[in-house]
Amino acid sequence: MNQVDRFKQSFREEAREILVELESALLELNGNPHDLELVGSVFRALHTLKGSGSMFGFDELAAFTHHLETAFDEVRNGRLQIDSELIDLALAARDQIKAMLEQDSALAGTDNSVCENILTKVRQITGRADSHKGVTEPKQAPPVEVNGIACDWRIRFAPGPELMLNGADPLLLLRELAQLGNLRVTASMAAVPPFCELEPERCYVSWEMVLTTAAGRDAIRDVFIFVEDLCELTIEPASSPAPSATSPTADATAMALAEHRALSGGRRTYDKADNTSSLRVPAEKLDQFVDLVGELVTVQARLSEIAARHDDPEITEVSEEIERLTSSLRENSMNIRMTPIRATFEKFRRLVHDLARDLNKDVELTIEGADTELDKTVIDRLSDPLMHLIRNSMDHGIEAADVRAAAGKRSTANIRLSARHAGASVLIAVSDDGGGIDAEAVRNRAIEKGLVSANEQLSEGEIYALLFEPGFSTAKQVTDISGRGVGMDVVRQSVESLRGTIDVASKHGQGTSVTLRLPLTLAIIDGLLVKIGDGNFVMPLASTLECIELTREDITKANGKHVAEVRGEILPYIRLREYFNIRSERPEIEQIMVVETEEGRYGFVVDEVLGDHQTVIKNLGRVYRHVQFVSGATILGNGTVALILDPQRLVQDALRAVTHGHPAAAASRYP
Amino acid sequence: MSLVREESEATNVIRLEDAIGIACAAELKKLLLQALESGKEVSVSLEGATDLDVTAVQLLWAAVRKKRKSGAGIVLVGAMPETLSTAFADAGFEKFLVSGN
Repeated sequence: MNQVDRFKQSFREEAREILVELESALLELNGNPHDLELVGSVFRALHTLKGSGSMFGFDELAAFTHHLETAFDEVRNGRLQIDSELIDLALAARDQIKAMLEQDSALAGTDNSVCENILTKVRQITGRADSHKGVTEPKQAPPVEVNGIACDWRIRFAPGPELMLNGADPLLLLRELAQLGNLRVTASMAAVPPFCELEPERCYVSWEMVLTTAAGRDAIRDVFIFVEDLCELTIEPASSPAPSATSPTADATAMALAEHRALSGGRRTYDKADNTSSLRVPAEKLDQFVDLVGELVTVQARLSEIAARHDDPEITEVSEEIERLTSSLRENSMNIRMTPIRATFEKFRRLVHDLARDLNKDVELTIEGADTELDKTVIDRLSDPLMHLIRNSMDHGIEAADVRAAAGKRSTANIRLSARHAGASVLIAVSDDGGGIDAEAVRNRAIEKGLVSANEQLSEGEIYALLFEPGFSTAKQVTDISGRGVGMDVVRQSVESLRGTIDVASKHGQGTSVTLRLPLTLAIIDGLLVKIGDGNFVMPLASTLECIELTREDITKANGKHVAEVRGEILPYIRLREYFNIRSERPEIEQIMVVETEEGRYGFVVDEVLGDHQTVIKNLGRVYRHVQFVSGATILGNGTVALILDPQRLVQDALRAVTHGHPAAAASRYP
Repeated sequence: MSLVREESEATNVIRLEDAIGIACAAELKKLLLQALESGKEVSVSLEGATDLDVTAVQLLWAAVRKKRKSGAGIVLVGAMPETLSTAFADAGFEKFLVSGN
């Protein structure tokens, strides 16, 4: 990739983020059409896209965006009102800008007719604004007026040396600035070094300018919005009255200032403090980094094993030091991958907005816990399942307006998207206040499809689980939105591929909540290594509360029931030896690992707790993908494999077995 | 873009054509240095240029300063295209790049 391509790539990444912000601001504006701050955000986003697009050679994108920017300029100036038509048009334009942005990289053409169609409508809307006022606006109207009176601004623009290397062109910025009013420019060559020392691609020139304009400070700053971090910029109101365009006074003042700066020798500083606070790194580099840390953790485990065997204090000391460092490195690398789920959640605002329009339903989206952090890989793969769930909720969950009115419900339906941490997992829920699931209809449909027999007794949870069976749908009508019974099956597959689970809760007439339980990370976790017979297992440390002893005497006291008394409280436990059908002699004293699950506290009985273990998670592969109680495997220091247990699923399965009257469901859980 | 140095017995003429930007800044510096080191009179022609960016302007200015130290100057030869002179005026460069500077 050459430098120009790198600049373009950098612009694309920036622009994608701006487009996300633009979409959010537009959707928010739809509900708050008089919020001038939001109008300003939309305008600035468009302005930045236009300006920087033009700098990086995305000329069509810049020209297209310019028209939309003009429309929002009219809004800023009170000449145009925000309505749903303008919002829908702006959203369509935003999609088109995104297509144009990606077009250059994919070398695929965008549909010009779509562009033209949007622009025609934009022109109609802006034209309407003009005719409404009965005046024709000048081509380049100042964006913001300060009491409608033109005043002077003294602007000092000193590009950093890297500015042009980043693809920006200061002269284009000056031209843009000149569009705001009468601009008098004085260039300073004071910082240009002697010829032999001059680095030809760096920028050394700075400018002093006096701008007479009715535009405000924000409008002037907007011109430099994309290069603000790469330059020194001061915008001050000139204290003296505005001189005439040809007045030598302003030039003389600016020159004097330039001279003073040159004489004082103070070379400008370019980087703002917060410019160094974050760094953009390609995702694949991060993935490689975490893979390498994973390998390091595995090798470190081998080293610890060897050190333990040799009983050499020197080796032990080094091994312990490396273990400590590896642990810190692992924790840091995992933290780098943790990202707030906000961006994923926010993009559903658009989906809800568009679907509400298409389905003619009034729906609001409430977002909670958007700052909850999750591993980047999990977040990347969460988008599709959430989209399916929201579409399903909008189409089948939320009732039509007349049905809601008849049920005495608020006319505006609500879909709530929430996220929160729960131990080593994150719970993500999509809830609605719609009609709820008709469990009987689901059951009947399942019998029709031969998924269950007519006399089978099913709990509510089991009935809801049928919704995720392939091809299952109770929808009377197949719509564009959902109803083919494909989505929910895909949701289950996607969530299971992330080692997650789905739980559905619903109340007829009141709404439905689908909760996804997902692991915080898919890469490395802290675990407790335990032994049962000859087998090693790992229990996630985040959900483990404590370990206590279980003696033969304790077992006798409980009359053979799988419960233990812990500080006066009864703790039910699962004997993993029996559960996994491991045939070996039981030790005199066993260990109970007390684990917090969503169903409450449960114990897991093992032979021995070997200690904590940095667990690099490896997938079990396709053959074992249906093994329910194991979330992966890890390689130990001695090269053997240990299975990583999923306590939540183990407890759920044990409870299910008890409910169905098979308390000895232990046998053959483990192939 | 095109950069050409024509050397005769007494002079070096550097012709800048089309749009001269950051992509050819290093090449322009090389040609200017060769011209300055030749010890001959140096002229620059912008007649065929359509646009000059900041990197080109500051190089020409630095070359002018260097040449001045030897008691000579760099002469702009040929007519300057109107678009260029307007652009120079808009950017506050006109006083740095006038003939004879």
